[in-house]
Amino acid sequence: MIALSGIKKSFGKNEVLSGIDLKVNRGEVVAILGPSGSGKTTLLRCINYLEKPDSGVISIGDFKLNCRQHGKKDVHALRQKSAMVFQQYNLFRHKTALENVMEGLVVVRKVSKAEARERSIALLEKVGLGAKLNAYPSELSGGQQQRVGIARALALNPEVILFDEPTSALDPELVGEVLSVIRQIAEEGITMIIVTHEMGFAQEVANHVVFMDGGVIVEEGEPKQLFRYPKEERTQQFLKRITPEAGYSI
Amino acid sequence: MGATFDFSFVFQYFIKLLPTIQLTLLIVASAIAIGLVVGFLVALPQMYNIPVLRRVSQVYISFFRGTPILIQLFLFYYGLPEMLKLIAVDAARWPALYFVILTYGLHSGAFMSEMIRAAVASVDRGQVEAAYAVGMTGPQAFVRIVLPQAFATALPVFSNLIIASLKDTSLAFSVGVMELTGKASTLAVVSRHLIEAYISLAAIYFIVSFVLERLLRLLEQRVQKRGLASL
Repeated sequence: MIALSGIKKSFGKNEVLSGIDLKVNRGEVVAILGPSGSGKTTLLRCINYLEKPDSGVISIGDFKLNCRQHGKKDVHALRQKSAMVFQQYNLFRHKTALENVMEGLVVVRKVSKAEARERSIALLEKVGLGAKLNAYPSELSGGQQQRVGIARALALNPEVILFDEPTSALDPELVGEVLSVIRQIAEEGITMIIVTHEMGFAQEVANHVVFMDGGVIVEEGEPKQLFRYPKEERTQQFLKRITPEAGYSI
Repeated sequence: MGATFDFSFVFQYFIKLLPTIQLTLLIVASAIAIGLVVGFLVALPQMYNIPVLRRVSQVYISFFRGTPILIQLFLFYYGLPEMLKLIAVDAARWPALYFVILTYGLHSGAFMSEMIRAAVASVDRGQVEAAYAVGMTGPQAFVRIVLPQAFATALPVFSNLIIASLKDTSLAFSVGVMELTGKASTLAVVSRHLIEAYISLAAIYFIVSFVLERLLRLLEQRVQKRGLASL
């Protein structure tokens, strides 16, 4: 249902994505792994056009966009198909938790305020923030802010939610609460693409793992297979460096 | 020199000057209104990096920030009618007040544009991206997310600019506009009670700025957290 083909992107002379093809089925949770600078975040940002690819085709559901020829309206339409959870949360700082979640529904989806309110409250309760509806982002911990970010993404009921290293900016003790919320919504069958450094989490939650390096997809497959029996040498090296030694776990 | 100091004149002049506050405030208000519009238009090419217009707005800002307002006043008051003559507009009889308001408006526009540019830049890019990600258009993101927060950031600077322009209006007298300073100077010269007149004048400026400052501070406190929504 999501298909990327031939996505290329350069910043100046530096080619960050050198032709990425990726398919994601409905309800699938895809984890993108790779060393920093491998282009994984750029790829994610290309899917909702926060980064404009130089060429390639993005299709989400029945909507197709050719990166070489499109208008502003197409970009707008593309963005409505997805939602994003950011590394730095990026909540609207002058709005309460509830207003953050309602914003997209009211302004973009033209849902009535009363209905948006009801749906938003339900979602905030779902991520465990029923008691913080009227708190401003500055009054929330990082983990709480990120959970508001997730509720904001869920509210739009998008075809796919894009997670850009959702726990990288969090204190270690707050990572768990965010991961458990993501795990919970993964079980509900929402399509997700997650760029992450949490290997254990990726292995557990994802149905499909993609390993990127140097702007290309080096290897992809089922998590069990990719983590235990990586085929490519580059993947082996990467996994060896970041996973704990056998027989020893933290 | 002057007549013997007599405190009763201070009070008397104070009362006499009160009605003139209106004219001074009119100059301030019109200058700020023009300044906001001009400032926004001048800030746009800088924020969106539009090639030629960006240069033009930079020159505009340097000129109005880099020359004394008194000189600007003279240039507009004496120079503009000459320029307008070239296109067959007779501006010789226009009231001096028009030139004063125009000059002060353009002058504060330069400062306003810097204020707006800085305030908009202070809203982090991530929130704009988040707005795009929930499907907002550029204008929606600007009006709903950037503007309210930029407004809160700009308000203290804005207060300063208003107070500063209140005091700048005292120079309008030099092209013959009878605002507070003009009125006070006339009273002083006619009665020769110079010190008394200028004490009253200082008191009036002080009170007006004090009240403005307080009001703006209240507004600031309200806006601090919620941005435009609290207005």
